Amino acid sequence: MGLSQRPQGSRLRSFQRLWPWVILLAVLGLVRLSKGAGFADAFALLSRPFWPGSAQREWVQSAVRQNDVSRLELLEQDNARLRGLLELDQLSAGDRVQAAVISRTPSGWWQQLELGKGSFAGIAKDDAVIGPGGLIGRVQSVTPSTSRVRLLTAPGSRIGVWLPRTRQHGLLAGLGTARPQLQFLDKDVQVQPGDLVSTSPASTLLPPNLPVAVVQTVNLRGVPAPTALVQLIAPPDAIDWVQVQVQVR
Amino acid sequence: MARLHRQPICVASALLVPLLQLVAPSWLALDGVGPSWAMLWLLPWALVDGPVSGGIAGAALGLVLDGLSLGDVSQVPALVLMGWWWGRIGRRGAPIQRSLSLGLLAWIGTLVLGLSLWVQLLVLASSAPMLQAWALHTTLAQALITGLLAPMVGSWQLLLWRRRAPA
Repeated sequence: MGLSQRPQGSRLRSFQRLWPWVILLAVLGLVRLSKGAGFADAFALLSRPFWPGSAQREWVQSAVRQNDVSRLELLEQDNARLRGLLELDQLSAGDRVQAAVISRTPSGWWQQLELGKGSFAGIAKDDAVIGPGGLIGRVQSVTPSTSRVRLLTAPGSRIGVWLPRTRQHGLLAGLGTARPQLQFLDKDVQVQPGDLVSTSPASTLLPPNLPVAVVQTVNLRGVPAPTALVQLIAPPDAIDWVQVQVQVR
Repeated sequence: MARLHRQPICVASALLVPLLQLVAPSWLALDGVGPSWAMLWLLPWALVDGPVSGGIAGAALGLVLDGLSLGDVSQVPALVLMGWWWGRIGRRGAPIQRSLSLGLLAWIGTLVLGLSLWVQLLVLASSAPMLQAWALHTTLAQALITGLLAPMVGSWQLLLWRRRAPA
């Protein structure tokens, strides 16, 4: 009867002594279940002043950029090899020549650029002229040391373009304004504002897959086919240096 | 003194026109459209040297400027017409020298030039409504900036050339 006659007050006292340990065990169980989430968050909060600075972030970003550039080079090589197999690159492969813009009239009756390099540097008529971001025009005439470029915005400028998202062809026509008009060849178009316009992947007159513009507004009621106004990616009125894609002849 | 077209220095001053066309100072433009340097040079020349010289100078300048610019439209018809007309005005009546007259003549001349280019674009390029709106804007902007510059540039040229070739 000794154990059974243990007073009630003594059992309560022993439980009162134990319950903090029970709660602690429960908390530790929760920590285990949450994979130490609270500890990790608390550590992050406390160690925030000692986190790696922006310099390290730039190193990482630089490494990512380097990785992208390497991948781009590999993809371009692969693309060139495949285009070679398809015999599409006979006119589009070649080097790019850097040329300074020595005279520019992006507005007015004649919208053109005068470049500081010409046939001595290998530039010829119809070569594509590329600004930072995309195509801006084509070479129209060449002297030994200069080239004259007709901008895509100039009246009379017309090039074939491609919409990668909807896989449709179109004709980009200059109207004199800062936004050229994209004329579609078929009536059923799914183009939307914001769509990218590039040169055709199968183009042999211009470098393939070169960004050109972004669709701004679409006129689905255009006759005979819908039209759209596009914004050039490379603004010709703010470019001092361009690249000319010299064709291999 | 001999007439203007017999003075090499005066003839050589026409070289400034293609040079300024190439330089195209962006700070001297109205909404991106620069003045017609050919009109600014031709106006005082024709007023001093007469209709035949004005017409020939207009043709010569037009040919050079057409060579410097892309496209199929030409400035020659408007420059010849204005050179001849300004030459006739210069030969008849009192000499023109007031700022308002110079500005007005340059404004009309550039308007005629713009309209002639517009008509050529309509025939050769396209009749898209946006192209027409752009052509109207360019014509008006170029006429306005040329008309504003003409009193400053033209009166100075008139003074210089009238001294070298008095009537």
